[in-house]
Amino acid sequence: MHTPVDPRPPRWPHGHRAAVALAFDLDGPTGGAMLDGSLWDRPGYFALGGYGPHRALPRLLDLLDDAGVPATFFAPAWVVEHWPEACRRIVERGHEVAHHGYRHECYYDLTVDEQHAVITRSQRVFRDVLGVEATGFRSPSGDWHPETPRVLREHGFRYSSSMRGDDRPYRHTLDGATTDLVEIPARWDMDDYAFLAYHRNPDYPSGQDRIASYALTLDNWKREFDGYRAEGLCLTTLFHPKVSGRPGRLLILEELIAHMRAHDDVWFANCNDVADWWIESGQGTEAVAA
Amino acid sequence: MNDTHGRWPNGARAAVMITIDHDADLALLSGSPAIADRGKTLSVGRYGTDRGIDRLLGLFAELDVPTTWFVPGRNAEQHSDAVRRIAAAGHELASHGDAHEDFQPLTLDEQIRAVHDGADRLCQVTGAPVRGFRTPAGEWKPGLGAHFAASGLDWSSSSPGDDLPYLHPGTGGVVEIPVQYELEDHQYFFFNLEPPFPTGQSRIASYAHVLGNWTQEFAAHHRYGLCYVLRLHPEVTGTPGRIGLVRDLITHIKAHPDVWITTGSPVADWWRTNHPDNDPGHPADLFARLRAEREAAV
Repeated sequence: MHTPVDPRPPRWPHGHRAAVALAFDLDGPTGGAMLDGSLWDRPGYFALGGYGPHRALPRLLDLLDDAGVPATFFAPAWVVEHWPEACRRIVERGHEVAHHGYRHECYYDLTVDEQHAVITRSQRVFRDVLGVEATGFRSPSGDWHPETPRVLREHGFRYSSSMRGDDRPYRHTLDGATTDLVEIPARWDMDDYAFLAYHRNPDYPSGQDRIASYALTLDNWKREFDGYRAEGLCLTTLFHPKVSGRPGRLLILEELIAHMRAHDDVWFANCNDVADWWIESGQGTEAVAA
Repeated sequence: MNDTHGRWPNGARAAVMITIDHDADLALLSGSPAIADRGKTLSVGRYGTDRGIDRLLGLFAELDVPTTWFVPGRNAEQHSDAVRRIAAAGHELASHGDAHEDFQPLTLDEQIRAVHDGADRLCQVTGAPVRGFRTPAGEWKPGLGAHFAASGLDWSSSSPGDDLPYLHPGTGGVVEIPVQYELEDHQYFFFNLEPPFPTGQSRIASYAHVLGNWTQEFAAHHRYGLCYVLRLHPEVTGTPGRIGLVRDLITHIKAHPDVWITTGSPVADWWRTNHPDNDPGHPADLFARLRAEREAAV
């Protein structure tokens, strides 16, 4: 799946040193509880998810505007159907929407035909409600299916941001051949769930750990950015409006983005632009000297 | 959503509610009935009644802040002197179920009975009607709110799903004043070995960091003009080492002149009168509609 390791730092447009592609998973109340039906006895759990598109998203869009940075929103199409006005604002304000399942299905559990059906249905919703189709894919709920990259290519997707195994983009291989399907890996270190998400019954995290310190979470994230910038890599995030778009945590995001913006050698781009650049600049295809 | 003008009375920018759940040992007992003879485990909760309540009441008197106490009906009966002291100090009392039941496995009828009996017992101890309710654990069955009026209840502070009040659809005006996990002491500080809490037995959080989270949340609630609902437990923060966190937080909040520090009923009355409709797309309305569609389809 992974092209051979290339030790050279990536090249970025206009001589930028590093890239940041902020990305948010706008899950709303989709996911396991909706898929198994248990959600419909839990109005509070539904509302906690609905907080993302309803309350967090508008404040988050303002924050991104103030900072002048683009972002990618991976949105299950069910969320787009049920909060159409809120989701249209994403596109109107210059950000990208991308595929994240219809109801946040785990692709590992789907047959190939089911994957085609989920994508076709979701693209229709995106087209009808938002006037755009997704060019990017982020695997909801964990692993994708071994055939998923082939399915993505058949639907014309340009990139995926589903894997954890690198700190810069790479190209997926299919049947032994390098393709132009770009992977923009994201890592748990930049996933707000790992620090801040909490729910009791259903338990999250499953071991019921504490909610982390906001100050230390911000410190971790700043250090991650500093490291990616120092090595000239591509940082993307797994942030969720319902988790880090809550009031006190918006202040974490605001300070993190201000920290990033204090450097003028960082390229801020949405994921689609990163994928375009990766292909245009021909990276990931050169032979690597042994 | 960015225009906060007129959202709260007298030009206040944000509303603050300090709330306390008087669970004593009922939260442990209702979650794990088999511990009825485990004195050490039960004493973790009883500390709140014997020491925590008066420590908190002393602090609230010192700082002159009104607060809202949620008391299960059986605790009101068993610890009636403490409950009367809370009421006599001018704080609001609200219902918290009857035996701190987990609502999740209960039928709608069982939930209605827990709400009714809890409010009734509390009312008998204090001699005053009770207007507010907080689910002890678990969630409401859809439709429960429509039965609130029969117990004299007209607001709830149970759901974690928002940072502004809203109206429960189909209830004739029951106001929800949402709670937030990050503003609850239990999540950060409660610890018990057996039965385990947290289930993964993680460490007790850093006091300084929790105060930092709560303070940062206040800064954001103030900026966005929201309703800040702090949720404490006498057995968790009514302790010698943690009461200082509550003192520091409230002192910090009180240094802001444009904050409405109040209790549940005034918030509910203000919201019902001034914000009679939920925002378009509110998750509570969407949930009610989708669930009704599902039932109609069956």
